[in-house]
Amino acid sequence: MTDASLPEPRHARSLKEVDARTNQRNRAETRFRAYGIAAVATGLVFLLVLLGAILFNGVGAFQQTFINVPVYLDPAKLDKNGERNIEDIKKVSTFGYNPLIEQALLDAVQESGAKTELDSAADMKKLLSASAAAQIRDTVIANPELIGQTVDFRLLAASRVDGYLKGRVQREDVTRDKNIDVTHLDLTDELHDAGIITKGFNMAFITGADASESRPEQAGLGVSMLGSFFMMLVVLGLSLPIGVAASIYLEEFAPQNRFTDLIEVNISNLAAVPSIVFGILGLAAFIQFAHLPQSAPLVGGLTLTLMTLPTIVISTRASLKSVPPSIRDAALGVGASKMQAVFHHVLPMAMPGILTGTIIGLAQALGETAPLLLIGMVGYIATNPPEGLASGFLDPNSAMPAQIFEWAKRADPAYYERAWGGIIILLVFLMTMNIIAIILRRRFERRW
Amino acid sequence: MSDTHIASAFDRDLETIQALIMKMGGLVEKAILDAATSMETRDEELAEQVRSGDQAIDKLEEQINEEAARVIALRAPTAIDLRVILTVMKIAGNLERIGDYAKNMAKRTTVLSQMTPINGSSAALRRMAREVERMLRSALDAYIQRDADLAHDVVLRDHDVDQMYNALFREFLTFMMEDPRNITPCMHLHFIAKNTERMGDHVTSIAEQVIYLVTGDMPDDPRPKQDRTSTDPNVAPN
Amino acid sequence: MYDAPTLERDVTQATTKFSARNVQVWYGDTHAIKDVDVDIEDKTVTAFIGPSGCGKSTFLRCLNRMNDTIDVCRVEGDIRLDGEDIYDKKVDPVQLRAKVGMVFQKPNPFPKSIYDNIAYGPRIHGLARSKAELDEIVENALRRGAIWDEVKDRLDAPGTGLSGGQQQRLCIARAVATQPEVLLMDEPCSALDPIATAQVEELIDELRANFSVIIVTHSMQQAARVSQKTAFFHLGELVEFGETGHIFTNPEDERTESYITGRIG
Repeated sequence: MTDASLPEPRHARSLKEVDARTNQRNRAETRFRAYGIAAVATGLVFLLVLLGAILFNGVGAFQQTFINVPVYLDPAKLDKNGERNIEDIKKVSTFGYNPLIEQALLDAVQESGAKTELDSAADMKKLLSASAAAQIRDTVIANPELIGQTVDFRLLAASRVDGYLKGRVQREDVTRDKNIDVTHLDLTDELHDAGIITKGFNMAFITGADASESRPEQAGLGVSMLGSFFMMLVVLGLSLPIGVAASIYLEEFAPQNRFTDLIEVNISNLAAVPSIVFGILGLAAFIQFAHLPQSAPLVGGLTLTLMTLPTIVISTRASLKSVPPSIRDAALGVGASKMQAVFHHVLPMAMPGILTGTIIGLAQALGETAPLLLIGMVGYIATNPPEGLASGFLDPNSAMPAQIFEWAKRADPAYYERAWGGIIILLVFLMTMNIIAIILRRRFERRW
Repeated sequence: MSDTHIASAFDRDLETIQALIMKMGGLVEKAILDAATSMETRDEELAEQVRSGDQAIDKLEEQINEEAARVIALRAPTAIDLRVILTVMKIAGNLERIGDYAKNMAKRTTVLSQMTPINGSSAALRRMAREVERMLRSALDAYIQRDADLAHDVVLRDHDVDQMYNALFREFLTFMMEDPRNITPCMHLHFIAKNTERMGDHVTSIAEQVIYLVTGDMPDDPRPKQDRTSTDPNVAPN
Repeated sequence: MYDAPTLERDVTQATTKFSARNVQVWYGDTHAIKDVDVDIEDKTVTAFIGPSGCGKSTFLRCLNRMNDTIDVCRVEGDIRLDGEDIYDKKVDPVQLRAKVGMVFQKPNPFPKSIYDNIAYGPRIHGLARSKAELDEIVENALRRGAIWDEVKDRLDAPGTGLSGGQQQRLCIARAVATQPEVLLMDEPCSALDPIATAQVEELIDELRANFSVIIVTHSMQQAARVSQKTAFFHLGELVEFGETGHIFTNPEDERTESYITGRIG
């Protein structure tokens, strides 16, 4: 008989002794946490880099160099008849204003005591933007009573001068420039010290229209902002009702069969289709088939609606699914019909999700350029803001991202700065839309 | 603690049962008194009433048990509600036995009325019956008022009833030893006395149930047993 | 006077509210309810008891055609409310559900104010012609639901802000607001604590003066406490139907006895 002793009882370990397996697990968890933190930190670093780059490059666009000079509005040149007749005044073209400007500039230089090698006023005028004359003319036409007075004007400086003062244009670059040379730059310095040339906030960048290639100092984002705005109106006005209604039908009313399954699968796939395909669709359907005006925000809006619909349908369906069935049962139990149950109870509860999906879709549409390419909204320079609602939708225009893209293409480095500035404005728009989404979501969610 | 249940039907059920018990108690009290009176006055008609009235008492006990079973099945009573139901069933049983003894008393009255009366005994018996009836009334009051002290008092009063029985026992022995013709009536009277003493014990049992109902514990002081007739060989005078 | 309480235990109305004959229900290929014949009395609380999956909830949902919302469910047989077949082609389920109200297992008040919760049903059925009438309907319903005193000064507060028991009483008030004739309750107390349960059961006892109430419950004790008639379902069949006191003290069928005494699951 073997001395079969009872197996050794497992030593009761103190809880305070940690065994090897637990240690391993803890270490793995710590590592995982470290990876997570590292990932977040990296993301933050990239975010800072992005923001830094954008701000650094784009902030300059909001500032512009101005030359402050008093101009004597000589009635002899501007209003020969002396009757202050608007028609007579309009007859004087910008050409006629040039001598006045030259004279004013000459006086200003002499008065400031700036030393310069330039002698002719015409030469000095190269410091000014070519739009200066138009600016003065517009002011006179708007206020004819100013003729005969000496009025202080804040005129746009030429793009090169602006670039020089912003550090973009170096002295060496100017040697091959045909417009200005080093003497101009010296005068610029002198006038800058004298306070005649100043840098100020450029409102025209935000509100003004795009300009031609040769006048970057005049270019603004305003008109294309309006183009984007009208487009967004179309997108919101069409995609939200259609998307939500389609979603409600598919989720609540459509019978469950293979056909509806097919539709569901296809909608999910549509959300992944490249946006330029929608551009082709827009071209074929709206411009070639329906003969809508080319480059119009209406057409752009319709195309982007098609692009946004799948996003809205998908997010609406998810929101509808998340409404607990007990609410539907309760409504039916009280004697509501299916439609009443859906529209009075399910839809309001799904609102936060629907709104979020809509705003995300809208924000995406706001930033799309590719679909707009084919319908002509890229590359179109709208010079005047639209006059009214109808023209806002139907007159050819551009959109913000398209405008930015266009600016980035142009040769003049001043446009490069403006492209970055445009991106800043675009980002501000997007952030605003997201904040509105969050506020709306909070407001609806509180009702639960 | 609130007096009423959230489910008012439960209160109604309990009230029904309590009402039945009170009704039964009233009938039994009356039966005791009537039986005692009929014995004293030799009223055969009254005695007959007592005997037929016992049927109603028995029916009430049946009804109470049925109701109690129903309440247990449907309400699953706990704590004090459970004790109420259990005590009601026991009290009904005790009352039914008391009623039977009263009926028995009335039966013997009919027989006794044909024999010569024994002096003094019927008065003493009547006194004993009255005391038992008073005890019953107090016990039922204690039940209604949930008064454990009053119930305890009733338990102690049984002492007196037992003493009275002892005295009567000795007296009847004396009568029987005096004159053999007294034996038959004295035996009947003795049975009546014994039954009355048993009635007292059942009333005590009711009072003990009341104490259990109120306190949750059966009283564990031994009942004051003064009846030594069954244990003491020297009880009879020589 | 002492006999009155026992009298009320007898079913007071002999009028039949719902009569079902030969009812069959299929879920796809599963035969869920088999050959059910039962008569539900008016102004009475009838309880359906039975183990899980026995079909009691399914049968309940046939009575207000809630099973219509489930595509795979098929109902056959004759179910009549006051003599009219509720599955007739001309019957609109929406109208039926105004007459036959339902309270569900989990309290499900609408995410609206307490007032709007109650007022929704009467509004869509056009039961009130003016705001004053609607106010009256709401107050009556809340009183019937034994919750008026607790909410009368905060009718604009959200319905979801109440406690569980209060929410369920609110749902009951909502169900009675459309002045139905029958109230169906599908395990209304299973999500509630014992005190709230007792309050709801007391409420059901009060409601039977005006409505016919059918309650499905998985608690036999609840059926014993609250109903006058009880139906025992097992594996889709109606095994026994009778007066509650009788079923719980001396049932006829031994399957009923096994279930009640806890001898089968």
